[in-house]
Amino acid sequence: MFLTRSEYDRGVNTFSPEGRLFQVEYSLEAIKLGSTAIGVQTSEGVILGVEKRVTSSLLEASSIEKIIEIDRHVGCAMSGLTADARTMIDHARVESVNHDLYFDEPIKVESVTQAVCDLALRFGEGASGEKRIMSRPFGVALLIAGIDENGPQLYHAEPSGTFYRYDAKAIGSGSEGAQAELQNEYHKSLTLKEAELLVLKTLKQVMEEKLDSKNVQLASVTADKGFRIFSEDEMKVLVDDLEASMVDEEMELQQ
Amino acid sequence: MSLQEALPDSALHSTASSVPIEHRFNPYSDNGGTILGIAGKDFAVLAGDTRNTTGYSINSRYEPKVFHVGDNVVVSANGFAADGNVLVKRLGQQIQWYHYNHNKELKLSSCARLVQHMLYGKRFFPYYVHTILAGLDEDGKGAIYSFDPVGSYEREQCRAGGAAASLIMPFLDNQVNFKNQMDPATNGTEPHPITYLSLEEVLQLVKDAFSSATERHIQVGDGLEILIVTKDGVRTEYSPLKRD
Amino acid sequence: MPGLSFENYQRNQHLATSGFAVPKTTSTGTTIVGCKFDGGVVIAADTRATAGDIVADKNCEKLHCISSNIWCAGAGTAADTEMVTQIISSNIELHSLSTGRQPRVVTCLTMLKQHLFKYQGHIGAYLIVAGVDPTGPQLMSIHAHGSTDIGYYLSLGSGSMAAMAVLESKWKREMNKEEAMALCTEAIESGIWNDLGSGSNVDMCVMEVGKDSVLHRNYRTPNVRAQKERSYKFARGTTGILGQTVRNLVDVVEVPIANEEMEVDS
Repeated sequence: MFLTRSEYDRGVNTFSPEGRLFQVEYSLEAIKLGSTAIGVQTSEGVILGVEKRVTSSLLEASSIEKIIEIDRHVGCAMSGLTADARTMIDHARVESVNHDLYFDEPIKVESVTQAVCDLALRFGEGASGEKRIMSRPFGVALLIAGIDENGPQLYHAEPSGTFYRYDAKAIGSGSEGAQAELQNEYHKSLTLKEAELLVLKTLKQVMEEKLDSKNVQLASVTADKGFRIFSEDEMKVLVDDLEASMVDEEMELQQ
Repeated sequence: MSLQEALPDSALHSTASSVPIEHRFNPYSDNGGTILGIAGKDFAVLAGDTRNTTGYSINSRYEPKVFHVGDNVVVSANGFAADGNVLVKRLGQQIQWYHYNHNKELKLSSCARLVQHMLYGKRFFPYYVHTILAGLDEDGKGAIYSFDPVGSYEREQCRAGGAAASLIMPFLDNQVNFKNQMDPATNGTEPHPITYLSLEEVLQLVKDAFSSATERHIQVGDGLEILIVTKDGVRTEYSPLKRD
Repeated sequence: MPGLSFENYQRNQHLATSGFAVPKTTSTGTTIVGCKFDGGVVIAADTRATAGDIVADKNCEKLHCISSNIWCAGAGTAADTEMVTQIISSNIELHSLSTGRQPRVVTCLTMLKQHLFKYQGHIGAYLIVAGVDPTGPQLMSIHAHGSTDIGYYLSLGSGSMAAMAVLESKWKREMNKEEAMALCTEAIESGIWNDLGSGSNVDMCVMEVGKDSVLHRNYRTPNVRAQKERSYKFARGTTGILGQTVRNLVDVVEVPIANEEMEVDS
């Protein structure tokens, strides 16, 4: 590592001779260390799900916030250095509220995502007298879910400042396995209820701990209710549903 | 009692000597003219005379002040022409930027909110204009938005602005919103029902309003330019007005 | 009581400082011209009267008769031009009666300037006086402060520049009546089109040596009202009836007439 990457992995504003920005690439590695987050888009709305790493029985699970509201119609799930996400979400909230103020309409989900990504590259030295605001790239990726005049949408925003729209996307430590599962299971006619179970099932597969109602969290964005984080009671019901459906599947398999 | 005692001190001296005269640059002027917007069922019109004045002089007999700024939105900022031109130009640029940023058409209601912020942004050095916005709302109905110089706004069925606004507005109240009119069919017992006017009727009202304003207001005249917004786009009609 | 009364002056000033606006006077923000020609003089005026930006009268008369042979075109405050003209007209009549001579234009001019100077410009009358007297055709002008001018061609009022532009470019010596009338018409029309304070029609008065002066009221009417697109007649029943009461003012009592002989005084 020291030999191959040598001098060029120090500065955030220096390309390597091969044309790479190592610090940005490393930031993507930070995400792979984060807990898994999944998003699934359906025609009825978008479901976000995250794994919460409750590392101690003394830890208050509800204090781990990995799904956050940006506006009534947009929310996001995160993976990586979650502290970095505060800056991004603050920016997204300001951008969203300002849009409503200036145009008397909710901002588009893509525009929120773009705003967050504009911020992602403001590290290093500020250009043309601009104040530099960050010393390094973000160490967090976001799954931004929302609904606007173009229907329910899911975006993945990376620290590199690029973003893509997905039907279903997993990020974080379990993302490889989870993405493969989503690839198999996703179809366009998925209902919201089915999406909830798909997210939960996928999380269960990639989580190291046993999934229960405390160590996962789900949220939905729908046309009528907007962004909404599932309550503990709702999570309990869902986890029970999942168990039941798993048993059913096993029964079918045995027969 | 002598005259000296009877009169206050200031009355014996000229006011000019007792009060220092402050000479200050005045950045505003009034370029006259009048504008008028009426909304119909599926159309909206925004008309303005084409005379531009300062004091008793005519600067131009054809200086349009109603513009199509994109996305089926027409706007006019009447009053101080320099401010009006800047406001309209800036609005056009803001709409372009909106396209770049959000990749969609700007709704009329959003445009109205945007104009409010552009006006209020100069709250303590205002654009000296009465602004009217015309277009179609999200349901395809005609809509007029009118603004005061610092951004207070309201959606209305019709509005006159500028020099002869006070001459035209009562006429509009009576002819567009049927104010002070009872339904002749009920022999004056029920109020006149509110109905939409056809485009043809509206254009006649606009032309009559302007020819009448020309008769009685010295800053109105020369030409009338009407911008008509329908779902098919913006169309312009010109007709001459008296030139005296 | 002679002269103008100033008894409300202080009260009005106090009212003005405490927020009661001073009422707007009707101003004949005007174009008036005069031009001499061989054997006479012609004066002309537009017919617009304004109160601020509003047209108060579309066809007012700005040509005032002082005597049969002297006419005056007035600009400035409408009331002042009318009053000052009437006063001088009366005094000229008396003067002519007591001297037994035809009134002269210079006499008018002197009387007017003395009157206006006395009021230090507060009487806002700007006049072109013209006429034919025993000394021949005369053309003069007076400003509100009392200064006077004499000339072959003159213009006054807010449209004076527009009018003078025409006069300066087209006036020539030895014009006949028709040429002078055409020149004055064009000068006034220049004011009508290019000065916002002037408008509507052209009035003209021609005074010729040995002839009665002729007033051409509305000599040109280039600004006829446009035909309206719609009819604004209200159908019967448009005015709401709020209430109705019928009161009998007279009690009608029918009395059967007795078929008797009428009583006649003897």
